[in-house]
Amino acid sequence: MAYPYAHEKETRVLTAHFGEPDARTLEGWTKRGGYAALRKALDMSPDDVIEVVKSSGLRGRGGAGFPTGVKWSFMPKGDARKPHYLLINADESEPGAFKDRELCRWTPHQMLEGALIGAWAIGAAHVYVYMRGEFFEPAQIVAKAIEEIYAARIAGPDIMGSGVSIDVTLHLGAGAYICGEETALMNSLEGRRGQPRIKPPFPAAAGAFGQPTTINNVETLCAVPHIVSRGGDWYRSFGTEKSPGTKLFNMSGHLVRRGNFEFPLGFSLRELIYDVCGGIRDGRTLKAVIPGGSSVPILHADEIDIALDYESVARAGTMLGTASVIVMDDRTNMVKQVRRIVEFYAHESCGQCTPCREGTSWLARILRRIETGHGRPDDIETLISLGRNMVGTTICVLSDSAAAPILSSIEKFRDEYDALIGTAEPAAAAV
Amino acid sequence: MSDKTTPIRGNPGWAGETGDFEHLTEADVRGVAHVGKRPVAGGVPGASCSYPFQLADKHPDAVLFEGPYAERLEKMRSRYPTSRGALLPVLNLAQEVRGHLSPEAMASVAEVLDLPPALVRGVATFYTMYNKRAVGRYLIQVCTNVSCNLCGADDVVAAFLEATGCEPGEISGDGLFTVIEAECLGACGFPTAVQINERYFENVSAGDVPDILDRLRHEAAIAPGAG
Amino acid sequence: METVNCTINGTSVEVSKGTRIIEAAEHAGIGIAHYCYHAGLSAPAMCRMCLVEVEGAPKLVPACVTTVGPDQVIHTESEKAREARRGTLEFYLANHPLDCPICDKSGECRLQDFVHAEGRKHGRSIEPKRVLGQDDFGGDILYDGDRCIMCTRCVRFTREISQSSALDVVQRGSRSVIDTFFDHGTEGDPFAGNVVDICPVGALLSKDFLHKARVWDLDHTPSVCTSCSQGCNIRIDSRDNLVARLKPRTNPDVNSWWMCDYGRLRYEWMNAPDRLDQPLVHTDAAQLVPVTWKAAALDLVDRLGAADSPGVVLIGSPFLSNEDNGLLLQVAKALGETDAIYRSPRTDDEVVCPGFPKLARRRDLAANGRGLDALGFRRVGNDTATGGLPDVAGRILIVAGDPLADAPADYGADALVFVALAHHRTPALAAASMVLPITTHAESDGTFTNFEGRVQRFWPALDAPAGARPAWQVAGVLLAGLGAGQAPPDAGRAFLMLARLNDGFEHLSYEVIGTHGELLRVPALIDTADGD
Repeated sequence: MAYPYAHEKETRVLTAHFGEPDARTLEGWTKRGGYAALRKALDMSPDDVIEVVKSSGLRGRGGAGFPTGVKWSFMPKGDARKPHYLLINADESEPGAFKDRELCRWTPHQMLEGALIGAWAIGAAHVYVYMRGEFFEPAQIVAKAIEEIYAARIAGPDIMGSGVSIDVTLHLGAGAYICGEETALMNSLEGRRGQPRIKPPFPAAAGAFGQPTTINNVETLCAVPHIVSRGGDWYRSFGTEKSPGTKLFNMSGHLVRRGNFEFPLGFSLRELIYDVCGGIRDGRTLKAVIPGGSSVPILHADEIDIALDYESVARAGTMLGTASVIVMDDRTNMVKQVRRIVEFYAHESCGQCTPCREGTSWLARILRRIETGHGRPDDIETLISLGRNMVGTTICVLSDSAAAPILSSIEKFRDEYDALIGTAEPAAAAV
Repeated sequence: MSDKTTPIRGNPGWAGETGDFEHLTEADVRGVAHVGKRPVAGGVPGASCSYPFQLADKHPDAVLFEGPYAERLEKMRSRYPTSRGALLPVLNLAQEVRGHLSPEAMASVAEVLDLPPALVRGVATFYTMYNKRAVGRYLIQVCTNVSCNLCGADDVVAAFLEATGCEPGEISGDGLFTVIEAECLGACGFPTAVQINERYFENVSAGDVPDILDRLRHEAAIAPGAG
Repeated sequence: METVNCTINGTSVEVSKGTRIIEAAEHAGIGIAHYCYHAGLSAPAMCRMCLVEVEGAPKLVPACVTTVGPDQVIHTESEKAREARRGTLEFYLANHPLDCPICDKSGECRLQDFVHAEGRKHGRSIEPKRVLGQDDFGGDILYDGDRCIMCTRCVRFTREISQSSALDVVQRGSRSVIDTFFDHGTEGDPFAGNVVDICPVGALLSKDFLHKARVWDLDHTPSVCTSCSQGCNIRIDSRDNLVARLKPRTNPDVNSWWMCDYGRLRYEWMNAPDRLDQPLVHTDAAQLVPVTWKAAALDLVDRLGAADSPGVVLIGSPFLSNEDNGLLLQVAKALGETDAIYRSPRTDDEVVCPGFPKLARRRDLAANGRGLDALGFRRVGNDTATGGLPDVAGRILIVAGDPLADAPADYGADALVFVALAHHRTPALAAASMVLPITTHAESDGTFTNFEGRVQRFWPALDAPAGARPAWQVAGVLLAGLGAGQAPPDAGRAFLMLARLNDGFEHLSYEVIGTHGELLRVPALIDTADGD
């Protein structure tokens, strides 16, 4: 196995060809069975394709976990006057998440095949790959793949001789986390400031350029060819009843082995950390885990005996999100890391909604004060109160995301906050 | 499968450095050979937006949208139902040529896309990758967000600042470097992630910084006019 | 039209389908706090002030974009809704400079209002405030970034209504500010001044009004703009008997919420000093000497009654009301064959408001040209309101409001009688037999007829100089003195006398006209080709 971030316990479906440079080429991908699923889908009716994806129970891998087949079925049918769009959300920017970049750079055709199947299913004549601007290497690789499929008539007019025309355009963002939010992504694609839109109207009714639009995450679309090829039941043989299939777990932080590991949903968090990733670095012990990217509530070290599926993680009071597991050891300065996360949200707030625009930067300033020993006793209550006022009061959930790590870290690591209050010097804890 | 903690001296920062890619080269991992050099005119229209827009080779006074760039502009425009849709790619193109987006560059973009200039400014200032002022030949963006931060990103920033001798956001005396802190670069499993112009350097530790800078200085010396 | 029923704060409301909660509430007399929503603009739902509780909805919903659903039960004053507003208001103040004592908007600031009503007594922020400073947007507009609450009404106005797109949000998050394109200003936008009106806080300021008055010291009087024939409904804000500013007054049939900067900034003439304040009579010594109104009126009735007139020249003014011009015309007609004329400024271009094309700065740069046409006046002269003065030798000359700026010093000297009703003493009045001080539109009741024949009322905003009288009143006295009619006791009854000149006025009265105006019944009669 050439790919270094592999483990024998993994179930490698999407990641099966990571580390194989020729899997990037159309020839190499075809040799590995690529585009057979597209061929098969084009021979099916769009509704049948949607049914297969529905039956697989595939849920969106961008964080919200909405069933993909159901999402596709929201697209209006039979209205040929309105162009429909499929947008691939490759704006991966959630701290802790780095799966889509790997998927794009190792298996671009996997994503494009899934997207073309999706486009056929929802009647989209144009697929936009919205990739964050920083992803130069993956973008070059995807661009090359697009050129290959145009040359091979897998994209463009009359794809694979089916009479169906589907264009594919790579679109690069320019540095804005919020554009990963689907309505902000649409605004950004349209050449606007990347500010989330109020819903309704929902994208399926009036999305990009005012037309019916579906937005799918890279990983979601990468699963589609496998589902079409092997069927919904096969996909359901992985994972749990409500969270079927495999998922890339993005492992970062104080782990011996970091990287992307693919497992069926429902895999044990403890096993993932201690077995697959080799436990905590430098012989340290675990202090906390963020299981789904920086925007979800933090878990205490003694809360890691959970299964990593949408429902189980939610029962533990947090979210699976993008399955971006950030592991923190016992030396971690919790206040500093929460401050860093909140500063990120302050930096990335689009600035539309007042609770978020003002709240994120206010919270960051309070946290910075506490971290540097200038906290006041009532600061913690203020943090809690402001955090609560930022939940559910804005257009998108960036505001909620900024509040979540604060509220959960105060709940679980309050002593660290208290210890810093009023100290003249920052606490000794490093990193 | 091994857990290497010692960086590969001389060429730190490429994607697979901590892992063992066995027979894979950096070019294999980065896909450089497969991608090749893509045409300035953009190639297939659907891929025409893929160009980097932070190049070492840039000229603040370069003429925008001429020759192959004009061709690329037309390809970009052809991919969107509205001229506004092409705004981000066209801003990218302007920055690729000039290195940053001056008011004049924004005005030019507004003109070619027939958009109000204030709107173009509003969009350009929303996105952090658009440099609103000139940067060094190499724009060094160090991720200091949580996953990298846990693994010593603050030290990496400090090391870059010290080694280049410049303040955050300023251009170093030799014109080569600008160092800034960046938000999550989406390479959390390879901390610390550093983006230098269009290229990612991964698993960077403070100790790697002199080697990386040496490599960049060497590149600049052998190809002063090109990226 | 299909309707839906909902309950807002216990009150049952029936509204047409598609009505938004904020509108339905207003319909029921319930105000919902808001900043970004403006009835004339798109609603981005970003100020988060109008969040209300809808029973069954998981989260609070923005009332400005959520349409009323059937049998919805809505609470604007529930604990949840109030708590959300209180929390959001605290965020608004986190970086706000709280400089109300030096802010022009103080007293008409929605941030001030809502914080007073529902905000926390004490803010909890002890962090240093963000300082952005002021930015001159050109034209009449000054921007104070620190006070800005980023509601983006101004941005949407320049995008959707004036369509200059001169303003946009620059930067993002808490670093966001409103700005133009670098050193481009808003000067190219003839409607830009409206952004000051719609700014709910003190972020966009009128340079003209800067530090001029506290708004609670201002008197507000409904009026009509005099700067063109559009007849924008305005409010005259005055203090110490001086006009401090003009603001648009909402009238969906004329100007909606807007007015142009041309009209907005042209009010200084109303404040012009050196007004005539007593009647003047030409003596044998070729001097104008003051007399009492009683003496002047008796003298004038005598002179006019005695004159065996071969005709009358009446020069009216499109800046005076229908009542003024109309009653003077009746006096003139009582004296003989009348040539009723007026002069008015015009320009070549029309400046249309793209987002509300009903509104334009019209080519006709006077308020009441159409009114004069309807009454039977004839426009003479050129586009600078000069020229066209007829030979008045041997005839009676009555001039009202026209300063005769271009007339030779002896114009009217050969008239049988030359009566001038004027605001100021101008050189051209040297030859007048009698000069009578009259009130301006800002000082009197009256009506103007706009370009499309809409008759609109205005009210007195300023006290007139002690000796000045409305021209219609002077005319009424003369009518009575000449035995040609009764002097109307007030402007409303003077108005009723206009139907004698044009039965298109017949169905109208001050009550019918109200505050929003009413069309003349037979606009065809008053049709004048645009080019004239």
